[in-house]
Amino acid sequence: MTLIHVGTGAQPHDFRAVWLDGHAARAPEIAARIEDGPVPMLRLAVQGAAEKAWPLEEVRRLPDQAGQGQIVLTHPSDPLARVVVSEPEACRLIAARCRNLDRAPPRRGLGRIALWAVGAVASVALIILVLVPQMANQLATYLPPEGEVALGQSTLGQIRDAIGDGSAVGICETPEGRRALDEMTARLIAQTDLPYPVQVDVLDNELVNAFALPGGQIVLFRGLIDAAEHPDEVAAVLAHEIGHVVNRDPTRTALRTAGSLGVLGLLFGDFAGGTVVLFLTERLIQASYSQEAESAADAFAHGTLARAGIPPGALADMFERLRDRSGEEPGVIRHFLAHPGLGDRIAAARAADADRAEVYRPALGEADWQALQRICITPGD
Amino acid sequence: MDTATLHTDFAGRRGPLFGLALRTAVLTILTLGIYRFWMKTRLRRYYWSSIRPGGLPLEYAGMPLEKLLGFLIAVVFLAFYIGIVNLILMFASFAILHGNVTAYALSFVGVIPVIFYARYRARRYVLARTRWRGIRFGVEPGAWGYALRALWHWLLTLLTLGLYWPRKTFWLEKYRTDRTYFGTQPLVQGGRWTMLIRPFLPLVAGVAGTALLGLAAAGGGLPLLLGLFVTVPLTLYGLAHWNVHAFRRLTNAKTGGPVRFEARPRVWRVLRIYAVGWMLIALAYAALLTLFAVVLGALTAASGSFAAMSPNEIIEAIPRWAAVLLGVAAYFSVFLTYGVLAHVFLRLPIWRHYAETLTIHGADAILPIGQRARDEMERAEGLAEALDLGAAI
Ligand SMILES: [Zn+2]
Repeated sequence: MTLIHVGTGAQPHDFRAVWLDGHAARAPEIAARIEDGPVPMLRLAVQGAAEKAWPLEEVRRLPDQAGQGQIVLTHPSDPLARVVVSEPEACRLIAARCRNLDRAPPRRGLGRIALWAVGAVASVALIILVLVPQMANQLATYLPPEGEVALGQSTLGQIRDAIGDGSAVGICETPEGRRALDEMTARLIAQTDLPYPVQVDVLDNELVNAFALPGGQIVLFRGLIDAAEHPDEVAAVLAHEIGHVVNRDPTRTALRTAGSLGVLGLLFGDFAGGTVVLFLTERLIQASYSQEAESAADAFAHGTLARAGIPPGALADMFERLRDRSGEEPGVIRHFLAHPGLGDRIAAARAADADRAEVYRPALGEADWQALQRICITPGD
Repeated sequence: MDTATLHTDFAGRRGPLFGLALRTAVLTILTLGIYRFWMKTRLRRYYWSSIRPGGLPLEYAGMPLEKLLGFLIAVVFLAFYIGIVNLILMFASFAILHGNVTAYALSFVGVIPVIFYARYRARRYVLARTRWRGIRFGVEPGAWGYALRALWHWLLTLLTLGLYWPRKTFWLEKYRTDRTYFGTQPLVQGGRWTMLIRPFLPLVAGVAGTALLGLAAAGGGLPLLLGLFVTVPLTLYGLAHWNVHAFRRLTNAKTGGPVRFEARPRVWRVLRIYAVGWMLIALAYAALLTLFAVVLGALTAASGSFAAMSPNEIIEAIPRWAAVLLGVAAYFSVFLTYGVLAHVFLRLPIWRHYAETLTIHGADAILPIGQRARDEMERAEGLAEALDLGAAI
C-alpha cells in the first residue's frame, strides 16, 4: 500500500485535465494543480478567464460512471462546468483527499414531490374506493342478463384454470348427483323471480368453499359437500348464494375489480401483467362482500328456506360447523366468516327458524343425499 | 492524428454493471418498486458515461426525484383514465357484445395515442438530460404532432400488411431528428425513405416465405413445412438485418451542420451477441435453479423441527400474509434476475458494438457550438413510466 501524504508539506501535484465550461462545446486541455495550504485546493488554469480554485472539500465527482481510469469532477459554484481527469496520479490524489467526493448534492423540490405524492395517493384511493365502486353498483343494475351470463362464464373458466395444477379443475356431474342437485336448486328457486336461470356446478376440489359468479352461475366445492352433515346445510349455503345472485353482488364485484385492478397494476409497474390476473381470480374466489350484502343474502336464504319447508336454522348449523373448522383448514368460505357479526348471523338464522313452514321436508331424501355426496365419483373409478 | 474525425470508445464493463444492476434491482424489490426511478437514473449514468466519442463521455444529468414526480402526476391522470374508462368499456363490451376480449382491445386502442405521445416526451426528457462536452442535447416540443403522425403511419402499415414499414420508419425518425438539437446546433435527417427499402427485403422474404409455406401446408402439402427450417432463420436474420442496416442508413444520412456521422454496426456481430447472450442467460438461470434446489434440499434434510411436521403442517406454519409476500417477491425476482442478466449479457454488448462502430466526421465544427437553455420538463417521462413502455433503462 502506498503512503499518502496529507496536510501541509505534501508536494503540489501538476497535471493536465479537460475543461468543459458548460457554455460551448470546446473541450480544451488545461493545466491543473492539487495543492495544500490552509484550504487544500484544486486550481484550474482556465484560458480566457480568471483561474478557478475549487476547495478539495467541496469537489464532487459524477456518480455511477463507467471506466476506472477517468473521473469527472464538479463544484457547486459552477454547476454546469466539468473537469475530466485521466492522469492516474491525479485520480489517486483526488480519491484520497476530496472527502466529500461522493456526497449527494442537496435535493430541491422535496416539498412539491410530497404534495404530489399525497395528491396521487388520495386521488387513486378516491378512484378505487369511491368512484369505481359507485359506478360499478350503478352499472351492474343496467347490465343486461345476457351480458352477466357471459361475464360469469368467462370468469368461471379463469377460476377453474387458477385452482387446478396445470389443468382446469373438473366439474362433477354423475347423473344421479346432478339430478339431486337440480332437484334441490329447483325447490329453492321455485317461488323466486330471477333475471336469468341459475346454474349450479360442483367443482372437484377439497376447499370448503362456495361462491356465486355474475349471471346466475353458482359454484359449490366438493369439500363443502363433504363437510356438511345434512342436506339441509348444503341447501342453506345454496340459498345464501342464490341471495347473492338475486342481489347481483358478484356482478358488482367483477365490475369493480375490473376497474380498480388496472389502477393497481399501474401503480406497481405491472400494466396488464400476470399478477393482475392472479389477483383477480383470488379476489373472486375469496370474494368478500359488504356486511349489508351478506345480511341481505342471509335474509333471502331465511325466507327461501322457510318457504321450501327447510329450517333456516340449517344455515346456523353450517356457520357453526365452518367456524369450528376454520381454525384447522385454510380456504373455508371467507365471505361467511370475514365479517365480525358471525354470532349475530347465527342468532338471526336461529330466530328465523320460528317462521318455518308447518311441514318439514328435508332438502334431499336419503338416496338423493348419498348421490350428491358421491357426485364427484364417476362409476368407472 | 486527424482532429476532425472522432472515434467512439466504450468504457462499460460487465462486472461493475452487474453489481450496479443487481444492487439497484434488489433495492427496487425491497421498496416495492419506488426505487426504480433511482435504478433507472443510475443505470443511465453508467451507460451514458460508457460512451465516449473522441474520448469524452456522455453525461446523464436526470434526477430520480423528478422522475418520481412525473410518475405521480401521470398516475393521477391515468388512474382516472384506466379506472373509469376500463370500467365503462368492460360494461359496454359485456352489455353489447357479451365478451370481454373487445373490452381489452378497446381499452388498448384508447391508450395508443397516449403511448406515442408518451414516447416522444420520454425521448425529449432523456435528451434534455443528456450532455456531451458540457453541452445539452434538446428536443423541441411536438408530442401530439408526433402521436397524430404515428397513428397515421401505423394505420397505413397495418393496411399494407407491414409493407409500408420502411416509409413509416423514415418519416417518424425524420420528425424526431429534425426537432433534435445538440446545444445550438440543429440536427437534420437527410436521405429519402426509399433508401430503407433494401434493408427491408430479407425480412419481407422471410415473413412471406413462412406465410406461404404455412398456407401451402394447410392446403395439404405437409412436407413443405420442412421449408420452415429455411424461412424461420431467414426471418430472424432479416429482423437483425433490418435493425442494423436501417440504423446505419439513417445515421449516415443525419447531419448537424457540417458534422456528419458514420455508423458501421454489423448484422452477424449483432446476431452473435444475441445468440451468446441468450445462451448465457439460460445457463445462469439453470445454475440459479440448481442452487435453489440444493439449498432447499439441505434445509429440509437438516431442519429437525420441520422434519417432524407433515408438508401440510409446514405450509400452515407459514402465515398467509408471509406466503403472499414470498410469492410476490419470487414473481418479481424472476423478472428482475432477467433484467440484470439482460443488462450484462445483451444490452451492454449491443451498446458497445453500436458505440465502437460510430465515427463522427467534421468534428472541428463542434467546437463553437453553444449551450442551450435547460428544458425543465417537470413531468419528465412520467407518462411513459406509468404506462410501462418497456424502456429497459
Ligand atoms: Zn355471502
